[in-house]
Amino acid sequence: MALPLPPGLTPAEVGFLCEMELVTVIPRQRLEGLELLGGPTQPMIPPFATPLPLWLALLLKKQRRANISPPGWLNVEALTHILDFETDERTADVFSPSPRLPQPTSTAPLEEDPYLAHDALELSPPFLKDAATAQAQDDALPYHWLELSHLLLTHAADDFDDPDAVHRLLRDLREVRMSKLRKGFRVLDAGAGVKMNGMGGMEVAEVRGFVGGVVDGLRINRSREEARKEEEAEQRENGLGSSNYRDDEDDDML
Amino acid sequence: MAYYNPEAILTDAQKAPCTFELAVPGLAPLNNGSAIEHGTKLDLPLWMAEMLAVSKPAGPSSTSLASLDMPPALGPRVLNALSADPKSVELRAQAQWFYGLGERMLDLFDEEKMVELLIDMFSRQTFKQRALEIADKSQNTRTTQQGGDSGDFMGGLDETERQLFRAAHDGSNAVKRWFESSSRS
Repeated sequence: MALPLPPGLTPAEVGFLCEMELVTVIPRQRLEGLELLGGPTQPMIPPFATPLPLWLALLLKKQRRANISPPGWLNVEALTHILDFETDERTADVFSPSPRLPQPTSTAPLEEDPYLAHDALELSPPFLKDAATAQAQDDALPYHWLELSHLLLTHAADDFDDPDAVHRLLRDLREVRMSKLRKGFRVLDAGAGVKMNGMGGMEVAEVRGFVGGVVDGLRINRSREEARKEEEAEQRENGLGSSNYRDDEDDDML
Repeated sequence: MAYYNPEAILTDAQKAPCTFELAVPGLAPLNNGSAIEHGTKLDLPLWMAEMLAVSKPAGPSSTSLASLDMPPALGPRVLNALSADPKSVELRAQAQWFYGLGERMLDLFDEEKMVELLIDMFSRQTFKQRALEIADKSQNTRTTQQGGDSGDFMGGLDETERQLFRAAHDGSNAVKRWFESSSRS
Protein backbone atom coordinates (compact mmCIF):
# COMPACT_ATOMS: atom_id res chain seq x y z
CA MET A 1 0.00 0.00 0.00
CA ALA A 2 1.25 3.45 -0.77
CA LEU A 3 2.84 5.51 1.96
CA PRO A 4 2.16 9.22 1.43
CA LEU A 5 5.72 10.25 2.38
CA PRO A 6 8.12 10.36 -0.54
CA PRO A 7 11.22 8.19 -0.32
CA GLY A 8 14.42 9.93 0.69
CA LEU A 9 15.06 13.06 2.70
CA THR A 10 13.08 16.25 2.24
CA PRO A 11 14.99 19.54 1.95
CA ALA A 12 13.96 20.51 5.46
CA GLU A 13 15.43 17.29 6.81
CA VAL A 14 18.67 17.82 4.89
CA GLY A 15 18.86 21.30 6.36
CA PHE A 16 18.38 19.91 9.82
CA LEU A 17 21.03 17.25 9.36
CA CYS A 18 23.64 19.74 8.22
CA GLU A 19 23.63 21.23 11.70
CA MET A 20 25.62 18.22 12.75
CA GLU A 21 28.70 19.40 10.85
CA LEU A 22 31.63 20.61 12.87
CA VAL A 23 32.67 24.24 12.48
CA THR A 24 35.53 26.18 13.97
CA VAL A 25 34.45 28.41 16.81
CA ILE A 26 36.47 31.14 18.51
CA PRO A 27 35.05 31.54 22.01
CA ARG A 28 34.85 34.88 23.70
CA GLN A 29 34.58 33.58 27.21
CA ARG A 30 35.71 30.49 29.03
CA LEU A 31 33.33 27.60 28.76
CA GLU A 32 33.66 24.03 29.92
CA GLY A 33 33.53 21.11 27.56
CA LEU A 34 30.08 19.58 27.16
CA GLU A 35 29.17 15.91 27.19
CA LEU A 36 27.17 15.61 24.01
CA LEU A 37 25.67 12.39 22.70
CA GLY A 38 28.08 12.32 19.80
CA GLY A 39 31.07 12.68 22.06
CA PRO A 40 32.56 15.27 24.40
CA THR A 41 33.54 18.71 23.11
CA GLN A 42 36.81 20.33 23.99
CA PRO A 43 36.75 22.97 26.73
CA MET A 44 36.58 26.44 25.26
CA ILE A 45 39.43 28.70 26.23
CA PRO A 46 39.65 32.03 24.45
CA PRO A 47 41.20 32.81 22.09
CA PHE A 48 41.88 29.25 20.97
CA ALA A 49 39.72 27.86 18.18
CA THR A 50 37.55 24.86 19.01
CA PRO A 51 35.58 22.59 16.71
CA LEU A 52 31.91 22.41 17.64
CA PRO A 53 28.74 21.15 15.96
CA LEU A 54 26.98 23.81 13.97
CA TRP A 55 23.84 23.89 16.08
CA LEU A 56 25.87 24.57 19.20
CA ALA A 57 27.97 27.14 17.39
CA LEU A 58 24.88 29.02 16.24
CA LEU A 59 23.45 28.96 19.74
CA LEU A 60 26.61 30.38 21.25
CA LYS A 61 26.78 32.99 18.53
CA LYS A 62 23.27 34.12 19.33
CA GLN A 63 24.22 34.40 22.98
CA ARG A 64 27.26 36.40 21.93
CA ARG A 65 29.60 33.98 23.61
CA ALA A 66 31.55 32.97 20.52
CA ASN A 67 32.42 33.83 16.95
CA ILE A 68 32.35 31.39 14.08
CA SER A 69 35.30 31.16 11.75
CA PRO A 70 34.17 30.59 8.16
CA PRO A 71 35.24 27.36 6.46
CA GLY A 72 38.22 27.34 4.13
CA TRP A 73 36.04 27.34 1.03
CA LEU A 74 33.60 30.04 2.12
CA ASN A 75 35.41 33.17 1.09
CA VAL A 76 35.54 35.32 -2.03
CA GLU A 77 38.72 33.88 -3.58
CA ALA A 78 37.84 30.24 -3.10
CA LEU A 79 34.28 30.68 -4.33
CA THR A 80 35.38 32.68 -7.36
CA HIS A 81 37.80 29.92 -8.22
CA ILE A 82 35.08 27.28 -7.95
CA LEU A 83 32.65 29.40 -9.93
CA ASP A 84 35.20 29.78 -12.73
CA PHE A 85 35.58 26.02 -12.78
CA GLU A 86 31.83 25.54 -13.06
CA THR A 87 31.27 28.12 -15.77
CA ASP A 88 34.19 26.94 -17.88
CA GLU A 89 32.90 25.43 -21.08
CA ARG A 90 35.14 22.44 -20.83
CA THR A 91 33.48 21.31 -17.64
CA ALA A 92 29.96 21.62 -18.92
CA ASP A 93 29.17 18.05 -17.99
CA VAL A 94 30.66 17.77 -14.56
CA PHE A 95 30.20 19.60 -11.31
CA SER A 96 32.98 20.89 -9.14
CA PRO A 97 34.48 18.02 -7.19
CA SER A 98 33.70 17.13 -3.64
CA PRO A 99 36.42 17.11 -0.99
CA ARG A 100 38.88 14.26 -0.89
CA LEU A 101 37.69 11.26 1.04
CA PRO A 102 39.76 10.34 4.09
CA GLN A 103 42.13 7.39 3.89
CA PRO A 104 40.59 4.27 5.41
CA THR A 105 42.07 3.52 8.80
CA SER A 106 44.15 0.39 9.06
CA THR A 107 42.86 -2.65 10.86
CA ALA A 108 43.65 -2.37 14.54
CA PRO A 109 45.15 -5.20 16.57
CA LEU A 110 42.72 -7.61 18.09
CA GLU A 111 43.39 -6.70 21.72
CA GLU A 112 41.68 -3.37 21.61
CA ASP A 113 38.30 -3.36 20.05
CA PRO A 114 38.52 -0.49 17.59
CA TYR A 115 34.80 -0.20 17.39
CA LEU A 116 34.38 0.86 20.97
CA ALA A 117 37.42 3.09 21.36
CA HIS A 118 36.69 6.74 21.93
CA ASP A 119 38.84 8.07 19.17
CA ALA A 120 37.56 5.55 16.64
CA LEU A 121 34.64 7.71 15.60
CA GLU A 122 34.90 7.28 11.85
CA LEU A 123 32.99 9.96 10.08
CA SER A 124 31.48 8.57 6.95
CA PRO A 125 30.61 10.61 3.90
CA PRO A 126 28.76 12.93 3.68
CA PHE A 127 30.05 13.95 7.08
CA LEU A 128 33.73 14.20 6.29
CA LYS A 129 36.22 15.41 8.78
CA ASP A 130 36.96 19.11 8.46
CA ALA A 131 34.32 19.70 5.83
CA ALA A 132 33.33 23.01 7.34
CA THR A 133 36.10 23.93 9.72
CA ALA A 134 38.67 26.59 8.99
CA GLN A 135 41.02 23.85 7.79
CA ALA A 136 38.60 22.71 5.13
CA GLN A 137 39.78 22.16 1.56
CA ASP A 138 39.34 25.41 -0.27
CA ASP A 139 38.82 24.09 -3.77
CA ALA A 140 35.94 21.73 -3.17
CA LEU A 141 32.36 22.20 -2.10
CA PRO A 142 31.39 19.76 0.65
CA TYR A 143 28.09 17.95 0.73
CA HIS A 144 26.21 20.50 2.81
CA TRP A 145 27.69 23.59 1.23
CA LEU A 146 24.40 25.27 0.42
CA GLU A 147 22.80 24.83 3.82
CA LEU A 148 25.97 25.63 5.74
CA SER A 149 26.72 28.79 3.83
CA HIS A 150 23.16 29.98 4.16
CA LEU A 151 23.08 29.46 7.91
CA LEU A 152 26.45 31.04 8.47
CA LEU A 153 25.66 34.05 6.33
CA THR A 154 22.35 34.60 8.06
CA HIS A 155 23.44 34.26 11.65
CA ALA A 156 27.13 35.07 11.59
CA ALA A 157 27.45 37.65 8.82
CA ASP A 158 29.79 39.80 10.86
CA ASP A 159 32.39 37.03 10.91
CA PHE A 160 32.88 37.35 7.17
CA ASP A 161 35.10 39.83 5.39
CA ASP A 162 32.64 40.58 2.61
CA PRO A 163 29.27 38.88 3.20
CA ASP A 164 27.54 40.52 0.22
CA ALA A 165 30.12 39.32 -2.28
CA VAL A 166 30.02 35.85 -0.78
CA HIS A 167 26.25 35.87 -0.98
CA ARG A 168 26.30 36.88 -4.62
CA LEU A 169 28.87 34.24 -5.51
CA LEU A 170 26.87 31.56 -3.75
CA ARG A 171 23.74 32.52 -5.64
CA ASP A 172 25.57 32.35 -8.95
CA LEU A 173 27.09 29.01 -8.08
CA ARG A 174 23.71 27.61 -7.20
CA GLU A 175 22.16 28.76 -10.46
CA VAL A 176 24.97 27.37 -12.58
CA ARG A 177 24.81 23.98 -10.92
CA MET A 178 21.03 23.74 -11.16
CA SER A 179 21.06 24.60 -14.84
CA LYS A 180 23.72 21.94 -15.45
CA LEU A 181 21.56 19.45 -13.61
CA ARG A 182 18.52 20.33 -15.67
CA LYS A 183 20.46 19.88 -18.87
CA GLY A 184 21.29 16.42 -17.64
CA PHE A 185 17.60 15.57 -17.46
CA ARG A 186 17.56 15.05 -21.18
CA VAL A 187 19.50 11.82 -20.95
CA LEU A 188 17.28 10.38 -18.26
CA ASP A 189 16.16 6.91 -19.11
CA ALA A 190 15.08 3.80 -17.30
CA GLY A 191 18.55 2.36 -17.49
CA ALA A 192 20.74 5.42 -18.00
CA GLY A 193 21.80 7.81 -15.29
CA VAL A 194 22.95 11.38 -14.86
CA LYS A 195 26.44 11.89 -13.54
CA MET A 196 25.93 13.73 -10.28
CA ASN A 197 29.36 13.56 -8.68
CA GLY A 198 29.77 16.61 -6.57
CA MET A 199 26.12 17.47 -6.03
CA GLY A 200 25.25 18.78 -2.62
CA GLY A 201 22.56 17.49 -0.28
CA MET A 202 20.07 20.27 -0.79
CA GLU A 203 20.40 20.18 -4.57
CA VAL A 204 19.77 16.45 -4.65
CA ALA A 205 16.76 16.83 -2.37
CA GLU A 206 15.30 19.45 -4.66
CA VAL A 207 15.27 17.27 -7.77
CA ARG A 208 14.75 13.91 -6.09
CA GLY A 209 10.97 13.93 -6.43
CA PHE A 210 10.96 14.90 -10.07
CA VAL A 211 13.76 12.63 -11.24
CA GLY A 212 12.32 9.73 -9.30
CA GLY A 213 8.95 10.23 -10.93
CA VAL A 214 10.37 10.42 -14.45
CA VAL A 215 12.53 7.34 -14.07
CA ASP A 216 9.63 5.41 -12.56
CA GLY A 217 7.38 6.30 -15.45
CA LEU A 218 9.99 5.26 -17.99
CA ARG A 219 10.79 2.11 -16.08
CA ILE A 220 7.25 0.72 -16.02
CA ASN A 221 6.90 0.93 -19.74
CA ARG A 222 10.35 -0.46 -20.35
CA SER A 223 9.87 -3.47 -18.12
CA ARG A 224 6.68 -4.41 -19.95
CA GLU A 225 8.44 -4.15 -23.27
CA GLU A 226 11.26 -6.35 -22.08
CA ALA A 227 8.90 -8.91 -20.62
CA ARG A 228 7.02 -9.19 -23.88
CA LYS A 229 10.18 -9.49 -25.94
CA GLU A 230 11.42 -12.24 -23.68
CA GLU A 231 8.14 -14.09 -23.99
CA GLU A 232 8.17 -13.87 -27.75
CA ALA A 233 11.78 -15.00 -27.95
CA GLU A 234 10.97 -17.97 -25.75
CA GLN A 235 8.02 -18.97 -27.86
CA ARG A 236 10.03 -18.86 -31.02
CA GLU A 237 12.73 -21.01 -29.49
CA ASN A 238 10.40 -23.59 -28.04
CA GLY A 239 8.25 -23.97 -31.11
CA LEU A 240 5.37 -25.29 -29.06
CA GLY A 241 2.05 -23.59 -28.69
CA SER A 242 2.28 -20.73 -26.28
CA SER A 243 1.08 -21.21 -22.78
CA ASN A 244 -0.27 -17.68 -22.83
CA TYR A 245 -4.00 -17.98 -22.52
CA ARG A 246 -4.55 -14.65 -24.23
CA ASP A 247 -3.46 -15.98 -27.63
CA ASP A 248 -6.90 -16.93 -28.83
CA GLU A 249 -6.24 -15.72 -32.39
CA ASP A 250 -3.82 -18.60 -32.94
CA ASP A 251 -6.39 -21.11 -31.77
CA ASP A 252 -8.91 -19.81 -34.28
CA MET A 253 -6.52 -20.39 -37.17
CA LEU A 254 -6.23 -24.13 -36.52
CA MET B 1 -1.10 -3.29 -11.20
CA ALA B 2 -1.60 -3.06 -7.50
CA TYR B 3 -4.97 -4.09 -6.14
CA TYR B 4 -5.27 -1.27 -3.66
CA ASN B 5 -3.62 1.42 -5.72
CA PRO B 6 -6.21 4.16 -6.40
CA GLU B 7 -4.41 5.15 -9.57
CA ALA B 8 -4.64 1.61 -10.89
CA ILE B 9 -8.34 1.49 -10.06
CA LEU B 10 -9.02 4.76 -11.81
CA THR B 11 -6.99 3.71 -14.83
CA ASP B 12 -8.98 0.54 -15.18
CA ALA B 13 -12.21 2.50 -14.95
CA GLN B 14 -11.50 4.20 -18.25
CA LYS B 15 -13.66 3.08 -21.11
CA ALA B 16 -12.68 1.19 -24.23
CA PRO B 17 -14.88 0.27 -27.19
CA CYS B 18 -15.95 -3.37 -27.40
CA THR B 19 -17.78 -5.32 -30.07
CA PHE B 20 -19.86 -8.21 -28.88
CA GLU B 21 -19.38 -11.41 -30.83
CA LEU B 22 -22.35 -13.20 -29.36
CA ALA B 23 -25.81 -12.23 -28.36
CA VAL B 24 -25.84 -11.78 -24.61
CA PRO B 25 -29.40 -11.09 -23.48
CA GLY B 26 -28.43 -11.26 -19.80
CA LEU B 27 -26.25 -8.19 -19.99
CA ALA B 28 -29.01 -5.93 -21.26
CA PRO B 29 -28.63 -3.38 -18.42
CA LEU B 30 -25.31 -2.40 -19.93
CA ASN B 31 -27.01 -1.25 -23.07
CA ASN B 32 -29.67 0.88 -21.35
CA GLY B 33 -32.18 -1.92 -21.34
CA SER B 34 -32.10 -3.08 -24.95
CA ALA B 35 -30.78 -6.57 -25.58
CA ILE B 36 -27.24 -7.09 -26.78
CA GLU B 37 -26.91 -8.79 -30.17
CA HIS B 38 -24.02 -10.03 -32.22
CA GLY B 39 -22.13 -6.98 -33.40
CA THR B 40 -23.34 -4.50 -30.78
CA LYS B 41 -20.72 -1.92 -29.98
CA LEU B 42 -20.45 -0.56 -26.46
CA ASP B 43 -17.99 1.45 -24.42
CA LEU B 44 -17.11 -0.59 -21.39
CA PRO B 45 -14.61 0.04 -18.56
CA LEU B 46 -11.29 -1.72 -19.03
CA TRP B 47 -11.69 -4.23 -16.23
CA MET B 48 -14.97 -5.46 -17.65
CA ALA B 49 -13.79 -5.31 -21.24
CA GLU B 50 -10.74 -7.38 -20.43
CA MET B 51 -12.82 -10.04 -18.72
CA LEU B 52 -15.20 -10.26 -21.65
CA ALA B 53 -12.49 -10.31 -24.27
CA VAL B 54 -10.47 -12.96 -22.54
CA SER B 55 -13.11 -15.36 -21.26
CA LYS B 56 -14.45 -18.03 -23.53
CA PRO B 57 -17.83 -19.56 -22.73
CA ALA B 58 -18.07 -23.32 -22.96
CA GLY B 59 -19.81 -24.49 -26.10
CA PRO B 60 -19.29 -25.41 -29.74
CA SER B 61 -18.12 -21.97 -30.87
CA SER B 62 -15.13 -21.00 -28.81
CA THR B 63 -15.01 -17.31 -29.56
CA SER B 64 -14.76 -14.90 -26.68
CA LEU B 65 -17.73 -12.89 -25.63
CA ALA B 66 -16.46 -9.59 -27.01
CA SER B 67 -13.52 -8.21 -28.87
CA LEU B 68 -11.61 -5.21 -27.63
CA ASP B 69 -10.75 -2.33 -29.93
CA MET B 70 -8.18 0.35 -29.41
CA PRO B 71 -9.72 3.27 -27.56
CA PRO B 72 -9.87 6.52 -29.55
CA ALA B 73 -7.41 8.10 -27.12
CA LEU B 74 -4.70 5.86 -28.58
CA GLY B 75 -5.96 6.01 -32.13
CA PRO B 76 -3.79 6.85 -35.15
CA ARG B 77 -4.82 10.52 -35.13
CA VAL B 78 -3.58 11.04 -31.59
CA LEU B 79 -0.41 9.06 -32.19
CA ASN B 80 0.40 11.12 -35.25
CA ALA B 81 -0.18 14.33 -33.36
CA LEU B 82 2.11 13.09 -30.62
CA SER B 83 4.91 12.21 -32.98
CA ALA B 84 4.61 15.63 -34.58
CA ASP B 85 4.68 17.72 -31.41
CA PRO B 86 4.25 15.97 -28.07
CA LYS B 87 3.97 19.13 -26.06
CA SER B 88 0.93 20.55 -27.78
CA VAL B 89 -1.38 17.58 -27.38
CA GLU B 90 -3.91 17.78 -24.56
CA LEU B 91 -3.57 14.37 -23.04
CA ARG B 92 -6.17 15.10 -20.41
CA ALA B 93 -8.84 15.60 -23.06
CA GLN B 94 -8.02 12.18 -24.49
CA ALA B 95 -7.92 10.24 -21.24
CA GLN B 96 -7.31 11.29 -17.68
CA TRP B 97 -4.87 8.44 -17.13
CA PHE B 98 -3.31 8.37 -20.57
CA TYR B 99 -0.11 6.52 -19.85
CA GLY B 100 -1.92 3.99 -17.70
CA LEU B 101 -4.31 3.34 -20.55
CA GLY B 102 -1.45 2.77 -22.94
CA GLU B 103 0.15 0.38 -20.52
CA ARG B 104 -3.03 -1.71 -20.27
CA MET B 105 -3.35 -1.76 -24.03
CA LEU B 106 0.19 -3.08 -24.27
CA ASP B 107 -0.95 -6.02 -22.19
CA LEU B 108 -3.97 -6.83 -24.29
CA PHE B 109 -2.73 -6.34 -27.82
CA ASP B 110 -0.29 -8.55 -29.59
CA GLU B 111 0.31 -6.86 -32.93
CA GLU B 112 3.98 -6.17 -33.29
CA LYS B 113 3.59 -2.87 -35.08
CA MET B 114 1.17 -1.45 -32.56
CA VAL B 115 3.34 -2.54 -29.68
CA GLU B 116 6.44 -0.96 -31.17
CA LEU B 117 4.62 2.28 -31.79
CA LEU B 118 3.23 2.51 -28.30
CA ILE B 119 6.49 1.67 -26.59
CA ASP B 120 8.47 4.15 -28.60
CA MET B 121 5.92 6.81 -27.90
CA PHE B 122 5.99 6.18 -24.21
CA SER B 123 9.61 5.71 -23.41
CA ARG B 124 11.26 8.05 -25.76
CA GLN B 125 9.20 10.73 -27.29
CA THR B 126 6.09 11.74 -25.48
CA PHE B 127 6.83 11.10 -21.87
CA LYS B 128 10.32 12.47 -21.83
CA GLN B 129 9.67 15.60 -23.84
CA ARG B 130 6.62 16.47 -21.83
CA ALA B 131 8.51 15.75 -18.63
CA LEU B 132 11.21 18.21 -19.63
CA GLU B 133 8.56 20.82 -20.31
CA ILE B 134 7.05 20.12 -16.91
CA ALA B 135 10.42 20.64 -15.29
CA ASP B 136 10.73 24.04 -16.94
CA LYS B 137 7.23 25.07 -15.97
CA SER B 138 7.69 24.08 -12.34
CA GLN B 139 10.46 26.63 -11.89
CA ASN B 140 8.50 29.65 -12.90
CA THR B 141 5.60 29.82 -10.46
CA ARG B 142 4.40 33.28 -11.32
CA THR B 143 3.67 32.56 -14.97
CA THR B 144 1.79 29.37 -14.22
CA GLN B 145 -0.42 31.09 -11.70
CA GLN B 146 -1.30 33.86 -14.05
CA GLY B 147 -2.38 31.30 -16.59
CA GLY B 148 -1.59 32.93 -19.89
CA ASP B 149 -0.47 30.73 -22.71
CA SER B 150 0.98 28.15 -20.36
CA GLY B 151 -2.53 27.40 -19.13
CA ASP B 152 -3.19 25.21 -22.16
CA PHE B 153 -0.25 22.97 -21.50
CA MET B 154 -0.89 22.68 -17.78
CA GLY B 155 -4.56 21.97 -18.35
CA GLY B 156 -3.71 19.25 -20.83
CA LEU B 157 -1.55 17.14 -18.52
CA ASP B 158 -2.84 13.76 -17.48
CA GLU B 159 -2.74 12.60 -13.89
CA THR B 160 0.73 11.06 -13.86
CA GLU B 161 2.16 14.24 -15.34
CA ARG B 162 0.34 16.32 -12.77
CA GLN B 163 1.95 14.31 -10.00
CA LEU B 164 5.32 14.85 -11.67
CA PHE B 165 4.70 18.58 -11.73
CA ARG B 166 3.70 18.58 -8.11
CA ALA B 167 6.86 16.65 -7.17
CA ALA B 168 9.10 19.08 -9.02
CA HIS B 169 7.28 22.08 -7.64
CA ASP B 170 7.32 20.74 -4.09
CA GLY B 171 11.05 20.18 -4.28
CA SER B 172 11.95 23.77 -5.10
CA ASN B 173 9.24 25.07 -2.79
CA ALA B 174 10.54 23.10 0.15
CA VAL B 175 14.04 24.46 -0.39
CA LYS B 176 12.70 28.01 -0.49
CA ARG B 177 10.68 27.47 2.65
CA TRP B 178 13.69 26.05 4.47
CA PHE B 179 15.75 29.07 3.52
CA GLU B 180 13.11 31.38 4.89
CA SER B 181 12.56 29.45 8.09
CA SER B 182 16.24 29.23 8.89
CA SER B 183 16.63 32.95 8.29
CA ARG B 184 14.01 33.71 10.86
CA SER B 185 15.22 31.57 13.76
